[in-house]
Amino acid sequence: MSRRYDSRTTIFSPDGRLYQVEYALEAISHAGTAIGILAKDGIVLAAERKVTSKLLEQDTSAEKLYILNDNMICAVAGMTADANILINYARQAAQRYLLTYNEDIPCEQLVRRLCDLKQGYTQHGGLRPFGVSFIYAGWDPQRQFQLYLSNPSGNYGGWKATSSGANHASAQSLLKQDYKEDCTLKEACGMAVKVLSKTMDSTKLSSEKIEFATVGQTKDGKIYHKLWSAEEITALLKEHDLAKDETTEERRARHDRREGK
Amino acid sequence: MASGYDRALSGTCAVGVKGSDVVVLGCEKRSAMKLQDTRITPSKIGLIDTHVCLAFAGLNADARILVDKARLEAQSHRLNLEDPVTIEYITKYVAGVQQRYTQSGGVRPFGISTLIVGFDKGNDQPRLYQTEPSGIYSAWKANAIGRSSKTVREFLERNYKEDMDREATVRLAIKSLLEVVQTGAKNIEIAIMAPGKPVEMLPVEDIESYVKNIEQEKQEEAAKKKTGRTPGTGSAAILTRSAQDEPGDH
Amino acid sequence: MPEVLLGITGKDFTLIAASKAAMRGATILKAADDKTRQLNKHTLMAFSGEAGDTVQFAEYIQANAQLYSMRNETDLSPSALAHFVRGELASSLRSRKPYNVNLLLGGVDPITHQPSLYWLDYLASLAPVPYAAHGYAQYYCLSLLDKHHQPDITLERGMELLTLCADELKRRLPIDFKGLIVKAVTKDGIKEMPFDNDKVVKGT
Repeated sequence: MSRRYDSRTTIFSPDGRLYQVEYALEAISHAGTAIGILAKDGIVLAAERKVTSKLLEQDTSAEKLYILNDNMICAVAGMTADANILINYARQAAQRYLLTYNEDIPCEQLVRRLCDLKQGYTQHGGLRPFGVSFIYAGWDPQRQFQLYLSNPSGNYGGWKATSSGANHASAQSLLKQDYKEDCTLKEACGMAVKVLSKTMDSTKLSSEKIEFATVGQTKDGKIYHKLWSAEEITALLKEHDLAKDETTEERRARHDRREGK
Repeated sequence: MASGYDRALSGTCAVGVKGSDVVVLGCEKRSAMKLQDTRITPSKIGLIDTHVCLAFAGLNADARILVDKARLEAQSHRLNLEDPVTIEYITKYVAGVQQRYTQSGGVRPFGISTLIVGFDKGNDQPRLYQTEPSGIYSAWKANAIGRSSKTVREFLERNYKEDMDREATVRLAIKSLLEVVQTGAKNIEIAIMAPGKPVEMLPVEDIESYVKNIEQEKQEEAAKKKTGRTPGTGSAAILTRSAQDEPGDH
Repeated sequence: MPEVLLGITGKDFTLIAASKAAMRGATILKAADDKTRQLNKHTLMAFSGEAGDTVQFAEYIQANAQLYSMRNETDLSPSALAHFVRGELASSLRSRKPYNVNLLLGGVDPITHQPSLYWLDYLASLAPVPYAAHGYAQYYCLSLLDKHHQPDITLERGMELLTLCADELKRRLPIDFKGLIVKAVTKDGIKEMPFDNDKVVKGT
């Protein structure tokens, strides 16, 4: 029915919609859930990693959480291939700003750069929009810790807690229920695993199914970001009693892998 | 063709009203959801240069691009011509960009309408222009764009008066927005421009007091109508807005 | 080189002074020249060097700084601007016709309110400094400032130091630079300071 308006360059349909953008949003709603929570002393990003096959090597680095520059990280929901292009662009933009001004790029500006690129793909020639949403966590001297969400249309907004991907509606209402103003980073991490455990299909989580990252501030005021290791995630899950019990077999397999056997 | 943009243009409502020595932009503001970070809510009113203000209705992301182009042109004009842009010049520029995107291949038009206001350098005449996705631009005494703009424009047509002072201009802008914005002051943004002065964003408390004042007046009028009604004439119950429902000029 | 540029930082301000004479060879064309441009609310740049190049370059930088402010609804810090200017000078230096401009860039950080002063020359050197001078004025003023300057001085003391420098220049610089125009940057913005240029200095 909408053949004429969705097969080529993104154009307005008679009722003023952009079908291509809506399809991109649709693509994202099947991707693994990603959430972000802003705390008073940091930000946590968490993402669901979809394990499609047992044979997939699980040790490879993060595939849903990326470092953009020294004070910003992001979580991806949507097509990973598209995300790689955008992340590369963002990293370059951040470094270019650093080269020009000898200062880290303010968070909102980096978000806007990416969103302007995304917007371009909804307006210009013959290309489909990027099928990714991002959740950004960062810090800058003007606005301290900040959390953003952007989508394929090139819209973005600042949030205290937000989610994207599959089940984002239920994740969002869980966040709305549980979010406390002025919570600590530690509490936010707890909230993140709880929300993920409820929105993901499996009831018991494991470090293989989720990724975790935090942005925070050290005692001497320096900003750090950290992608969590499997051990740290397991510890967090244990603490909140959400970890899947590891069978002896699995434990041995993991041990062997680490030994390089 | 223009009908295609109706939805794109229907985001929120924005109005512009000229007074004798001020020009006011008013904007409907979506109320923030609980988890939204209120520090970072992209406004629908933005500055193009220190003396030019723009409000838009339509796709946010498109507006960002268009506003950025206009800002670049404004500064480039300052550098090359040693003068700030006139309001008509920058309107013509914005409309020109919008027109280009309707005609060149492989692009879609900008899904936004804009209101551009301000004062030319060394001139006390308030200016108010509108641009449309097609690239048409026009000058107005008062106008509205976006959701329910027709209702608001009709309201402005009934209630606009020549030579309004600052107070009356702001009041008319707010009152016209209240025609379509139910939720009151916290969902309204007001920017005021005066010659040679930086833009002034009206604090929410001030908007609040205007809204209260307007609502009170509406109630009084309604009460007056009720008492003034001669019993038996049922037709008076039909509420029609007449030219008498004008805002008082206090 | 006969143009005088001076800069002094203090506790909560940066002072920038520039000579008022516009010269061409041995001739003074104008005695009320302003060799400064305001880049944004908290940053001021003074320039000397080849006529034409200076104003062209300064206004180009000014336009870019203002464009940044409009686009991002926030101002660049003096440090960021200094590095931006250095980058522009560096790429100009390696072009077919480089700008011959020397600069002082002073300001107050909009967030931390820390005053700062940057010294730049046409070879795209950049140095953050507590006080600075360009041209022949360096020979007369740097030693004075070295002796009398303290990092936590008040604005009044800063003005005294400038008077000290101006006196020395009048006494020993064999060029009439037509007095100084003095501007102060504080957290409240930039304002021109009254400065007594008619003061007669007992000579030699």
